[in-house]
Amino acid sequence: MSEDRGERRPRPRGGRRPRRKVCNFCVDKIEYIDYKDINRLRRFTNERGKILPRRMSGNCAKHQRQLSEAIKRARAIALMPYTVE
Amino acid sequence: MMNRYEMIYIIDTGLEDSARKELVEKVSALIANNGGEIEKVDETWGKRRLAYAIDYKTEGWYVLVTFKAPADLPRELERNLQINENVLRYLVVKLEEKRSAVKPRANRPAPVAAPVEEEAAPAVEEAPVAVEEAAAPAEEAEAPAAEEAAPADAE
Repeated sequence: MSEDRGERRPRPRGGRRPRRKVCNFCVDKIEYIDYKDINRLRRFTNERGKILPRRMSGNCAKHQRQLSEAIKRARAIALMPYTVE
Repeated sequence: MMNRYEMIYIIDTGLEDSARKELVEKVSALIANNGGEIEKVDETWGKRRLAYAIDYKTEGWYVLVTFKAPADLPRELERNLQINENVLRYLVVKLEEKRSAVKPRANRPAPVAAPVEEEAAPAVEEAPVAVEEAAAPAEEAEAPAAEEAAPADAE
């Protein structure tokens, strides 16, 4: 039962399976996401200043939590905008 | 019990240089006089555009202070900063041991050098990706081959 787990998911014929994203912070071996590093943080917000969801950023749960905390801190001291109109 | 803290506060740019220095001194003295120990006062950011207007101001003078202090000092510190009307914003954060120190730069911080490490783990992670991608080039390989055949016919 557990052996055939991998093949169970049907692969749509001819369709392009979305490539599994790898967490940016794991790749860069970042242990602490600094709220002052706004150039990095900005990559994880959309043009309206909203934090991208994990399904778009591809971050792992651990780093996504840290990231959202860092972005919120950056917003609090006006390093990043709460909203962009 | 001493903890390490990091504090950022934003001073009104309307304040003259001398008054600003005085304020920075005052804040530092407040930390030192309450059992704290200042490690660094960093003003490399200095005057910076705010991401949004605070009290109709679009610029602020950023001061970053790292210090060691007993756990009850941040509360006292925040109370004082709250009272001072030349301080637009402040943020006191406790530093964890494992943090990486990214120093504020004028505009863009230097890219963090990617640690060069070749361990077994990354190689294993990348292996399935390589297999997935292998399928696509195989399909593409047919197309160029066909194109090569066409000019050959023309000649």
